Amino acid sequence: MKKIALLSISFVILCVLLFVYRMFNKPHTNVKESQAAKLISAKQLFDYFDRNEDSAMVEFSDQIIQINGTLLSKDLSNELEPQIILKTNDTEGFIRCGFKPSELQNIEILKDSSTVNLKGICKGMNGDDELTLLEDKDVILSSSIIIE
Amino acid sequence: MKRKTLILTTILGLFAFTNHSGGIYKTNTGNISFYSHTPVEDISAENHKVKTAFSTESGQLQFSCLIKDFEFKKALMQEHFNENYMESTTYPKATFNGKIESISSIDFSKDGTYSSKVNGKLTIKNVTQDVATTGTFVVTNGVVNAKATFNLNPYDYNVKIPKMVAPKISESIKITINSDYTHRH
Repeated sequence: MKKIALLSISFVILCVLLFVYRMFNKPHTNVKESQAAKLISAKQLFDYFDRNEDSAMVEFSDQIIQINGTLLSKDLSNELEPQIILKTNDTEGFIRCGFKPSELQNIEILKDSSTVNLKGICKGMNGDDELTLLEDKDVILSSSIIIE
Repeated sequence: MKRKTLILTTILGLFAFTNHSGGIYKTNTGNISFYSHTPVEDISAENHKVKTAFSTESGQLQFSCLIKDFEFKKALMQEHFNENYMESTTYPKATFNGKIESISSIDFSKDGTYSSKVNGKLTIKNVTQDVATTGTFVVTNGVVNAKATFNLNPYDYNVKIPKMVAPKISESIKITINSDYTHRH
């Protein structure tokens, strides 16, 4: 009887330890394998943030978003995170999408002014009205992948 | 008539000179990382989409970055950082507004390494504190690489850390800034 109880307790402890270990080492969200929570155009997404940043943060941040828009330019100046910029209706507002370096080949083939479909994790809107040197504002997506 | 032309030419000349000698250097792909060391655990994270700019005339230096855009090695740490400590949905940005004190000693038209004191105000979670450090500015073919490090105490910025995890988080977190600026206008 004692042996069974001891085995049961050991089993429970082992399960708890395994759960803690798996939680502690859980992987980052795999954007490629995950379904997008929202499908939206680059222009609409920027408008949401521009109109009301607080409510847009609640609605979009940390969500995987599928977005389509016109490519303004590629920004490959930071090799740690190649980026592209999508146009919006605002001349001082853009969608800036960051990619893992492994996605570089898929970005290099994109042509300016082409339509781009991609998925990424929305992080919020960067820029500040009080910081006048920064001028424009970007809604940021990270861990993006181009959708064929 | 001649006099009017002379005055106009002088004004235009001065305007052209002002525009040429001054200017804004900017990047949207700056790097900020932080590192917390304790005997219990080391924690680090990086952000590669920092929006930052400085004026060669006034020396004013600004940056803005999204808290949620700091990437950790471990997903759970990133979750706890955003949800429990930084409350990054409510306080999405960290901003800095300051000055490169010896901007006039930096020759942006000539390759070289320069250093200057940088002072300013850092705002995190709506709390603004004074920050002072020394920055290194390396000019190479018109690109300015700026590097600076400073330490901050999370408790100074209203970051609430539960007692249970407090031994894992340093009270002197090292912030490293490394950005390549290009001339915009």
